Amino acid sequence: MVQASRQHRIYQTLGWLLLALVVLLLPFWVISTQSIQIGGNTFTLSLGNVMHSLSYVVAVLGLGLLVGFNGQLSLGNSFFIGVGAYISATLVVDNGWGFLRSLIVVLPVTFALGVLFGIPALRIRGLYLALVTLGLAAVFPAIVRLEGLSERTGGANGKRIPDGFAAPEGVPLQEFRQGLSNIPGIGEQFFADGRLGTRAADEVWTYFVLILLTAIAIWMVKNLIHSRPGRAIIAVRDNETGAAVNGVNLPMTKTLTFGYSAALGGLAGTMYAMAIGFVAPDVFGVNLAIFLIVGLVVGGLGTLSGAVIGGFVIVFVPVWTSQVKELPGVSERVLSGPTATAVLGILLIVLTFVMPGGIVYGLRRLRARLITIVPRGMSPAAAAAAGPAAVPVDEAAAVAMMDRHSGHASSDLQPETETGSVSVTTKQGSADGN
Amino acid sequence: MTAPTKTKTGAPLEVSALHAAYGPVQVLHGIEFRVDEGEAVVILGANGSGKTTTLRAICRMVSTSGSVSVYGTSLAGKKTEAVTKLGVAHVPQGRGTFADLSVDDNMRLGAFVRRDKDVQKDIDGWYEVFPILGSRRAQPAGQLSGGEQQMLAISRALMGNPRVLLLDEPSLGLAPLIVKDLFERLKQVKLDRGTTMLVVEQNANLALAMADRGYVLEAGLIAISGTAEDLRTNEAVRRAYLGY
Amino acid sequence: MELLLARLFDGVSSGATYAVIAVALVLIYKATTLINFAQGELCMIGSFIAYAFAVDVGLPVIPAVILAMVMTALLAAGIERTLIRPFDPSNHLPLVIITLGLLLLINSVAGMIWGYDPRRFPGVFPDGTVFEWGVARLRWYTVGTLITTIVLLVLLSLLLNRTKVGLAFRAVSSNLESAALSGVPIGRTLQFGWALAAAVGTIAGVLFVSDPFRQIEPTFAARVLIFASAAAVLGGLDSLWGALVGGLVIGMVESMLIGYLTFIPSQMGLASAVGVLIIVLLIRPNGLFGSRRVERV
Repeated sequence: MVQASRQHRIYQTLGWLLLALVVLLLPFWVISTQSIQIGGNTFTLSLGNVMHSLSYVVAVLGLGLLVGFNGQLSLGNSFFIGVGAYISATLVVDNGWGFLRSLIVVLPVTFALGVLFGIPALRIRGLYLALVTLGLAAVFPAIVRLEGLSERTGGANGKRIPDGFAAPEGVPLQEFRQGLSNIPGIGEQFFADGRLGTRAADEVWTYFVLILLTAIAIWMVKNLIHSRPGRAIIAVRDNETGAAVNGVNLPMTKTLTFGYSAALGGLAGTMYAMAIGFVAPDVFGVNLAIFLIVGLVVGGLGTLSGAVIGGFVIVFVPVWTSQVKELPGVSERVLSGPTATAVLGILLIVLTFVMPGGIVYGLRRLRARLITIVPRGMSPAAAAAAGPAAVPVDEAAAVAMMDRHSGHASSDLQPETETGSVSVTTKQGSADGN
Repeated sequence: MTAPTKTKTGAPLEVSALHAAYGPVQVLHGIEFRVDEGEAVVILGANGSGKTTTLRAICRMVSTSGSVSVYGTSLAGKKTEAVTKLGVAHVPQGRGTFADLSVDDNMRLGAFVRRDKDVQKDIDGWYEVFPILGSRRAQPAGQLSGGEQQMLAISRALMGNPRVLLLDEPSLGLAPLIVKDLFERLKQVKLDRGTTMLVVEQNANLALAMADRGYVLEAGLIAISGTAEDLRTNEAVRRAYLGY
Repeated sequence: MELLLARLFDGVSSGATYAVIAVALVLIYKATTLINFAQGELCMIGSFIAYAFAVDVGLPVIPAVILAMVMTALLAAGIERTLIRPFDPSNHLPLVIITLGLLLLINSVAGMIWGYDPRRFPGVFPDGTVFEWGVARLRWYTVGTLITTIVLLVLLSLLLNRTKVGLAFRAVSSNLESAALSGVPIGRTLQFGWALAAAVGTIAGVLFVSDPFRQIEPTFAARVLIFASAAAVLGGLDSLWGALVGGLVIGMVESMLIGYLTFIPSQMGLASAVGVLIIVLLIRPNGLFGSRRVERV
C-alpha cells in the first residue's frame, strides 16, 4: 500500500470511523458487562476504571511532552496532578463550582507552578532534576496532610466529592442505549436490557466529557508539537547547544514546556476527581510518579498515541493483577500482596530491554512494512524499490534516547534516513498519534 | 605461521581490511599495514582522515570489521582490557590522564596488568627520568601542565612493559621545545627497550625523523606508504605535511 | 539548652544513618555517574533479610547482618550483570528507568514476603542512655550509629585508597576509557561497586530500623532515599566524607526545623530535605566537597 494513495485513505478513514464507534459504544457495553471471567479469576470492567485511565492518558501526555519531546527527566508530575485534583475537589465541594469551571483555576495555577519549578530546572538538570522532582512527588502527600490545609483537603482521610457530574436534561442517553439493545442478534448480548439508571447515565455522560477533554488535550499537544515552538521543544531535546545556536530561546522553551506539562497534569487531576469522585493524599505520591513513567515507556517516548496506551496500562494492569486470585504455581500469599506494583516494575524493566521505543513504535514498524511512503516527485514504484518505509527520523531520535547502545543508535537506521526525511515533506507528522 | 602458539609467531601488529564506523559514519574503508618488531611507524594524515580511528580500532574502542592481530593473536571479539593484556599500550589523544587521581596512582594504573614485585622500583625509575613527576607524585594528575601530563602518559603506558606502544598525537597542544624533547625521549625509549611503536602525528617533520617507516592516510584509505626517507622526499607528502 | 542538645542528638543519630545510605549512593555514582533510585529499596530489603536471619532463624544480630550484607551484595552483583551492564553507561535515561523499575519490583517483593505491618527490629546497640541531662538524652543508639558510620567510612577509604581493587574502582570512576586501556576489567569493577554499595546499604538500613523508636516495614525505603540523596548531593555526590557531613547536616536540619519551628508539622521533615536539595543544587551544584557534576540524561 502506498502512503496517501486512495486505498490508504479509505483504510485510514475506516480506521477513524471504527475508533469513533468504539469510543461511542464502549460505555454502554462496559456498563452492561461489568466483568470478564478467565480461568477462575474475575476481572472487573467498570466504567470508573476507563475514566480513571482517561485522566492518566492526559497525565502521561503531559509527562511525555516534558520527557519525551523536551528531554527533561521529571518524576514529579504526580505533584501537579495532585494539585489539580485537590483544587477541583475543594472548589466543587466547598464552593459549589462545577468541575469544568474549576479548570479556570486549576490550569493557570498548575501552569504557574510548573513554570516556577521549571526555572530551577534550568540549572538543575539530568539526574539531579529527576531526584528533585521525585522529592516533590514524595512531599505532596505530606503537604495535603498539613493541619492548616486539612480543613479544605480533608487531611489524611481524603475528600469525597458526593455530587458527581450530572447528565444534563434532554440528552437521550437512555433512548440511545435502548436502541442499542434492540439491535437484533448482538444487542441483548452486549447491551443487556437497555435500562440506564440515573447514576449510570451520569457516569456515561461524565465519560463523554472526559473523552472530549482527552481529545482536546491530545489535539492541542499535537498542534503544539508541529508548531514552531514545538519544533524548538524537540530541538532542545536533540541538541541543546545546536538549538540555542539556531536561535531557540532555551530558558523560555524549557520553562514553558514545564508549564504546559504541569497544566496538563492539572487537567489530569481535575479529570481524576471527576472520574473517581474521591481524592486522597497517598494517591498522588511516589508510586504514581513512577507509574506515569511506566505509562510513558510502555506507550513509547516521543509519541502521542503512546500516552493513550500508557494511561490505560497503568490503570488496568494494577486493577486486573490485583484481581488475580488463582494462578497455577503462585501461592495465594503472593497474589494477595502488591502484585500490581511488581508487574509494573517488571514491565518497566522488560520493555526497556526488548522494546525501548514502546508499543507504539513497535506497531509503527509493523505498519511501515505495509505502507510505502512516497516522496514528492517520485513514482510509487521507485519508492517501493527504495525499500520499506521507515519510522520518521524525529521519532527515531526519541527511541534512541532509550537505546541500549546510544552511540550506535543511528546505525541501524542508516539505510532509512532518506525515507525518514521524506516523511517530513509529505507532512506525515513525525510524532503524530494516529 | 602454522604454529598455533599464541605469541611471537606473527608481527607485533598486523592489520588488514580494517573498516571502522562511528554510528552511520564510515571512517576507515579497509586499510592494511603491519609493524615489525622494534620498528617505529608513523601514520600521517589530515584531520578527519582516520588516524585516531585506526588506533581506536586496534584497541576495540570503536565498532570495526576486518582483522587486527598482535603477535599472531587475533583481536576479534576481544575487549579493550584484553588487548592491553596482550602487551599493547595506547596513549590516547588528550593523554587519557586520570585527572583526579594522584600521579602515583596514575603510574600504578599503568602497571595494573603486571603481577611482578618491581612496580614501585619502576615508578621510581620514571621519577628519575622525569623529576618533575616525582616531585608532584601526590598531587592530582589533572594539575600538571600539558607537557608534564604527556610525560606522565608515556611513562604510565611504559609502566605496563608493553611490547607495542600506540601514541596518538603526542605533540598536541605542547610548546615546540617540549615537543622536540618528547620525540628525543621516544627515540631513547626505542633504543633502550626496543619497544615497537605506532605513532599518529600531525607534526610530520619530527615524527619522520624518529620513525623507520610511515603511511599516509587519506579519507580512510592508505594513500602512500614507504620508509621514512621515502616519505620525506615524496613531493606530495612534502607539500601537504612538511610544509616546504 | 537542654532542648537544643536533645535536638542535636536526634539530628546526629538520623543524620549518621542518612550518611551511610548516602555513602551507598556515592559509591554507585562514583562508579557509574548514575543515581541508583533503587538504593533505598536495597537498604530496605537488606534490613529485612537481617531481620529474617535474626528473628525467624534466631541468629545473633551481628552474624545476621553480615549474612544479609553478603546476600544483598550478591543480589546487587546479579542486578548489575543482568540489568545494568547491557546498557551503554553514557546514556542515563534507560538506566534510570531500570532502577525505577527495580524500585517498584523490590518494594513489592518485600511487601509480598513480609507484608506492611510494622515490626520491631532487634536492637543492635544496647538500650538506654549514655547520659541524661533534663530532656537531653544521649542514647547508646546514637553513639553506636555515629561510631559505626565513622568506622565504616574509614574502612571504605582504606579499601578504595590502599587496595588494588580500590585503585581499579577509582580508575573506572575517573576515566572509563583510560581504565580500559590500562587493563582494568571494567565490568567486574562496576559489579564490585554495586555489590559494595548494597552491602553498605544493608548496614544503613539496619542502623535506621534498629532505632528503638522506629519499626521496620517496606515503605521506609522511599523516604530514606530522599533524605540520603539530599545528603549525598550536599556532600558532593562523589565524596565519601562529604556524604557524612551531608548526612549530619540533613539530619540536623530536619530535627532543628521540626523542633523549633513548631508550626512545621513533623511530616514536613521530608520537605526540609527536598528544600535543602534544591537550594544546594541552585547555589552550589557540586555540593560541599564534590568535584564533578551530572548533566546527561
